Amino acid sequence: MNIKKSILLRVRLAFLAIVIFAGAIMYQIFHIQWMEGDKWQKMAEEINMSYQEVKATRGNIYSDNGSLLATSLPFYKVAFDPTIAEESLFRESIDSLSLMLSKSFGQTATYYKQKITSARQKGKQYIFLSNDLIGYQKKKEMETWPIFREGRLGGGVIFTKTDKRFRPFSNLAFRTIGFLNENDYGAGLEYSFNKYLAGTNGKALFQKISGSSWRPVNDGSEIRPKDGFDIQTTIDINLQDVSESALLSHLIKHDADMGCVVVMEVKTGEIKAISNLKKLSNGKYGEVYNYAVGSHGLREPGSTFKLASYMALLEERNIQLSDSIDTGDGELKFYKEKVRDHKPGGYGTISIRDAFEKSSNIAIAKLVDETFRENPQRFLDYLKTMGVTQPLGFQMIGEGKPNIPPIKQWSGITLPWMAYGYGLELTPLHTLTLFNAVANNGRMIRPLLVKSIKSTDKEINTFKTSVISDQICSKETLNKLRTMLEGVVENGTASNINNAEYKIAGKTGTAQSLKDGRYVRQYYTSFAGYFPADNPKYSAIVVMDNPKGYQQYGSDVAAPVFKEIADKIFALDLNMHEEYQLAEKPETGIFPVVQAGNKSDLSAMLNYLGVSNHTEGQELEWVRASIHNNSIKWEPNNQHQQGLVPDVRGMTLRDALYLLENTGLNVVVKGKKGRVSQQSQYPGMRALKGSTIKLDVG
Amino acid sequence: MLSIQNIKAWADKHLKGDPVIWSVVFALGMLSILVVYSATGTIAYFKYGGNTEYYLLRHSFLVLLSFFAMWVAHKVDYRYYSKISRLALWLSVPLLIFAWQFGVNLNSASRWITIPFINQSFQPSDLAKLALIINLAGMLSKRQQNINDFKKALIPMLLWCGVICGLIAMTNLSTAILLFLTCMLLLFIGRIPVKYLAMLAFVGVFAVSIAMVVGQRGETAISRVENFISKENIPFQAQQSYIAVATGGVTGKGPGNSSQRNFLPEAFSDFIFAIVVEEYGMIGAGIVIMLYLTLLYRGMKAAAASGRAYGGLLSAGLSFAIVIQAMVNMGVAVGLGPITGLPLPLLSMGGTSLLFTGIAMGIILSVSRGEIEETPDALSKKQFSNLPKKEAA
Repeated sequence: MNIKKSILLRVRLAFLAIVIFAGAIMYQIFHIQWMEGDKWQKMAEEINMSYQEVKATRGNIYSDNGSLLATSLPFYKVAFDPTIAEESLFRESIDSLSLMLSKSFGQTATYYKQKITSARQKGKQYIFLSNDLIGYQKKKEMETWPIFREGRLGGGVIFTKTDKRFRPFSNLAFRTIGFLNENDYGAGLEYSFNKYLAGTNGKALFQKISGSSWRPVNDGSEIRPKDGFDIQTTIDINLQDVSESALLSHLIKHDADMGCVVVMEVKTGEIKAISNLKKLSNGKYGEVYNYAVGSHGLREPGSTFKLASYMALLEERNIQLSDSIDTGDGELKFYKEKVRDHKPGGYGTISIRDAFEKSSNIAIAKLVDETFRENPQRFLDYLKTMGVTQPLGFQMIGEGKPNIPPIKQWSGITLPWMAYGYGLELTPLHTLTLFNAVANNGRMIRPLLVKSIKSTDKEINTFKTSVISDQICSKETLNKLRTMLEGVVENGTASNINNAEYKIAGKTGTAQSLKDGRYVRQYYTSFAGYFPADNPKYSAIVVMDNPKGYQQYGSDVAAPVFKEIADKIFALDLNMHEEYQLAEKPETGIFPVVQAGNKSDLSAMLNYLGVSNHTEGQELEWVRASIHNNSIKWEPNNQHQQGLVPDVRGMTLRDALYLLENTGLNVVVKGKKGRVSQQSQYPGMRALKGSTIKLDVG
Repeated sequence: MLSIQNIKAWADKHLKGDPVIWSVVFALGMLSILVVYSATGTIAYFKYGGNTEYYLLRHSFLVLLSFFAMWVAHKVDYRYYSKISRLALWLSVPLLIFAWQFGVNLNSASRWITIPFINQSFQPSDLAKLALIINLAGMLSKRQQNINDFKKALIPMLLWCGVICGLIAMTNLSTAILLFLTCMLLLFIGRIPVKYLAMLAFVGVFAVSIAMVVGQRGETAISRVENFISKENIPFQAQQSYIAVATGGVTGKGPGNSSQRNFLPEAFSDFIFAIVVEEYGMIGAGIVIMLYLTLLYRGMKAAAASGRAYGGLLSAGLSFAIVIQAMVNMGVAVGLGPITGLPLPLLSMGGTSLLFTGIAMGIILSVSRGEIEETPDALSKKQFSNLPKKEAA
């Protein structure tokens, strides 16, 4: 068949062409292997490529209500491959690009033009345009610049990302949030929770270019990095701020070497604030170490430890608070050493309760010594039950472990000295945990700093409140101890911080510092306690080391800090106090509706209704109505000065909100309509910005 | 019992058509599993945390699936493909438009459609390519009597070529050009006069320039061709490929011993031939090329044996389409042409392209079987005679 033959002929022709092409491929293989072989072999050895880590974005650290404490912000270094852009594009745009670079990075436009053009001529494929790190917004902007807008493959711009750690609240809780250095060593949460925060680094192929820099070969990464998890802490930004500023002002006042504060929620053990300030060589205070938690914070606690001694004592013997004890003339000898009381001449014979409240060293040394001398192990057993001999198992790495010498190293004076807080070492956090257990009806809770680990909004891991000991002592002992702790503030060493609004319970401590094996006249002062004493919500410890000047005792130095912090927390925390009842009810009578408000509004309304109203004397802005015969007389509404809580009772909600929010208070409203009948913060008291005021309406 | 005789008996019964084609496809399939396993080592290590078997299993499954597709395709009388392919051709037009406008973007070209429910991505150009070649063979065979009539013979074929190649060119210029050239070759084989083909070539050049302006891949194509012509800026991929070829030597580094797979992008698809040369040397490369040439030769033989012009053109068209693509791919790997991004048929990893190549091979085999209904008696007799053996197996 003619057609078939013709087709077959053509097929064979085509086949021949393919065979020739196949031959060409074989030849080309031969050519590459034998003619150019050396060149490619050499290149194989020279092209230095390796897979390098691509850093994962580190997770965030959040406060208890989700405020950012630490986050990673992306920054970019701008590099450029000047050989990529096409000639026409390059010629057209190099001037405007240089000008834009000049505006952003400082050098002259000519400088950039020369730098880029010469690199292009030399065939350099990777130059840095600036050593500055640019932010994300800047990067976005630069991506619209001429040449750059063609992208990596068309224009040649290369942004290499580095993350920088940023703390929105700068130095707040600096040491607790912590840091991580290049060697993955650091402190605080950043270090302790690094395995969660860090994420998993990815990998990408990099090629070595002149010098020691590496250039990414491809645009993305071969293994995508997995970003780190976020951690949510228990830190309350407001309490942290309050605690830190109170501590700082008192440190400055007493010129102390170091101070720290820990505030803990009684029921949950959540640490709401933790601050450590140390005087630096430049005279300023800063966080350089977590003394409250870490092993360098281990100190002889002094009198705050008497709580533990009395606990052991009351458990061991049937002692009533009214029982008396002879403390003599203020000095008691054990072997060659003397225990001294603070009061010159001594306290004489006093009740157990007085001995605790006045912090008599002799009383507790004597009592513990006579009770446990024959069986010191029993004293240690009690301490063990109280959880003060074992590490807390806190969430942070580097916790200071209690340092209590074993009995075989004891001398005759170890036991009596230990009774009032010498010869053993605890961290402030550990002491606080003991006080918190007393506040929490004997249930010892492990302090908690990190509540959960999250990946965006999914919880990966949660940390619940955990119990160290369900009952550290009997109920009876507990009641006695709490009575005495309240007594310390009511009429003992810390009576200077007593106040009418809420009760504080606690214990002062003033320990002499041990320097080079000798006790010197430097004091480690502290106050540990909880409030409100009747229904404890927060416990806290304040420690100040080596205050200078006239006041050197725990009662004068540490306790006032405690009071200041407690006051502010009390004002901030609405759930803690009863509402203020109205001191004076706004008059009802025949004009029940108009009670208080903005004067011009109110009188305009009354004038419209034809009700007579008048003022005596000066012009007023905010007024309260009083009835005067058949008319209304405007009385001044006093407490609307700057910085004081205004009196909004009787006002409409609109006026009340305006006034209160201008004062910086958060308002919570109960009820639907009508006028304000009650307000939770008392009119005329100093207004604390950010605190919550509750209004009853109706 | 599994023995050579049993396998042969089984193959005789179930695998019809040219046994040489079957053998070549099996050989390439096995080699494909070996080389892809080696070439995906790096990427599997990174993406699946050291689970290098992930791609091995996936690819082996796809190779088996393409064998199955080939088996199904070779069971069908090749004359039916004329009708099926007309449907497929019409279907591929909206699919190509959809992929161009809404497709999944991989490596800055939207060539993929994700099939709903089974979540498998699918390249409509693979379907369009196959359908166009089958149709062209059909149209050519029908017009053999008045092949010199420009209007009646050429216009419909040119229209289809233009539409399909044009749409593919929007997202994948190199595939479109290659398909266009294959179509031209098929028209040449189908006795279209050379003067018309010259005109067609002119139209083709014009169409390519339009696609470069309108489509997504114009700039890429220009820079690749520029790079190829200039010989100064050898692109990274090409450099790595040449290094693989150069270090392979005569006998190669041995299976699984490639080191360039770590650096060569797309080592398991576009540049798999470089890995073949690196691991199996010039000898291995020669064998692979011989296998493709054998395939083409046997496809050509089927064309010669076929009683009808349609069978001959179909077999020749499909064989050439596959082997030309293979030659171009291998040519790119050794530097005979600019970088294209085309996979090596039957060897590269890749889902739909593997599957459609399998179907194409099945059709070639179907042609090699001859027209099935022509000898129904012979067929049924053969089947009966094989029955007892089946039980034994």
